[in-house]
Amino acid sequence: MNKTYNFAFFDEGSKREIRRATLKAIAIPGYQVPFASREMPIGRGWGTGGLQLTLSLIGKDDVLKVIDQGSDESVNAVNIKKLVSDTTGVRTTDSTADASLIQSRHRVPEVPLQKDQILILQVPLPEPLRGFEPSEHETKKLHAEREYSGAWLMLFEKIMKYGIMATDADHPVMVHDRYVMAPSPIPRFDNAKLDNSEALILLGAGREKKVYAVPPYTKVSSLAFDDYEFEIESFTNQACILCGSNDVFFDELVDEDTGETYFQCNDTSNCLEIVNQKQSLGVK
Amino acid sequence: MNLDVVHDIQTVYKKLVAATSRPGTLVVLEREAKMLDVQMECLSSTILLALTVLDPEVTFKIISKEEEIVSRMINQLTYSKAVDLSEADFIFILQDASNEQRKDAINKAKVGNLLNPHESAMIILEVSDVTKGNSMILSGPGIHQESFICLPNVSTWMSVRNEKNIEFPLGIDMYFVDEQDRLIALPRTTQIKENGGEIKWDMLQ
Repeated sequence: MNKTYNFAFFDEGSKREIRRATLKAIAIPGYQVPFASREMPIGRGWGTGGLQLTLSLIGKDDVLKVIDQGSDESVNAVNIKKLVSDTTGVRTTDSTADASLIQSRHRVPEVPLQKDQILILQVPLPEPLRGFEPSEHETKKLHAEREYSGAWLMLFEKIMKYGIMATDADHPVMVHDRYVMAPSPIPRFDNAKLDNSEALILLGAGREKKVYAVPPYTKVSSLAFDDYEFEIESFTNQACILCGSNDVFFDELVDEDTGETYFQCNDTSNCLEIVNQKQSLGVK
Repeated sequence: MNLDVVHDIQTVYKKLVAATSRPGTLVVLEREAKMLDVQMECLSSTILLALTVLDPEVTFKIISKEEEIVSRMINQLTYSKAVDLSEADFIFILQDASNEQRKDAINKAKVGNLLNPHESAMIILEVSDVTKGNSMILSGPGIHQESFICLPNVSTWMSVRNEKNIEFPLGIDMYFVDEQDRLIALPRTTQIKENGGEIKWDMLQ
């Protein structure tokens, strides 16, 4: 642990400011609470929002897991883990079940979250209405008036153009029947995991200076029409080439020698755990 | 004061997060309160919460017979400024406040506006025991189906709270602390029914 820095990098004043915003965010599910967003030793847009939430929450007894699109070992995840453990001395882990704080970029882990865990999602663009309204003042007004026809129209236009909703990741959700919220660029596959979650979910956007939250057991529904239902990414009849799972989110890869496509678990730690379990049981 | 302003305040905050995200859940601040060997006219948990959330960027108001003494002490501990009720970000209603003072404080607390619902007051209310009193059923975000709690003197704040929280997302978030250093949160989203009785108030209808 590097003792030339404060515990958890921040001074206590900065932590208090983020903490106050977080408490308000939990009390108003889905509402984007503005916060000061301190300068961090990583670039804005590289997980500074999530990192600030993590640093404001973390204590000596916490166990931290950081994932970047399902991977514990990508550069972004490794660097964030290093920064947090260097300035706090906390233990880091790859196992979802062992972690008390899970900071994630664009995925909700496959292993169901528990009551005593907090999931912190990094958010690049927290405003779900930004696509049609560039002004922050105007989008705030739209949220205030619960005027979400623009959000519905964006989906409607896609249906007109492509015949399906054709949204990629970050499919907007309605939280507690009040606020339309950007769930951060998690795949549509993960949207359902936000609904009635066991764990508290916090979302932080450092560059855009917003924090928002989905408390446990809160209704979160993906925006959809009666005749055009919300659809998740389809992996019918596919299984992970490594562990054989078929009910998880996959990365689609191409074998460069044969040119064939194959699928592999996106959540690497979960995949590894399943493989290890199978090996210890002697299953081939 | 043996309280570690970094690590002990972090655990208080973590418990505050747990209480807010799971309304009605009892959270115990006993360990931190023991570290805080300051004698004061308010409960130890009140000081712990003040140390966790207050600084010069925000304002507070104390409702008590000893308002002046407690305000000065909180100001010295946190450098936060005491202001009028209607402007205060944090309102601490101490145990010796009268029923009228309690009602008046909640009534005048700011609820934010539709553009900025976060500019609302957090109310910290001291009670004798957060496990004894009128039985209530809670529901809403953070609560799996329903949860049951008992709080004393419900009649002194319930109807005013209902009025303040009538238009979600506007409203006040209430935190109850007691003499045994226990904490219960009732954020604005929590719906409260009298146990076995009719619905006292219902949000979003």
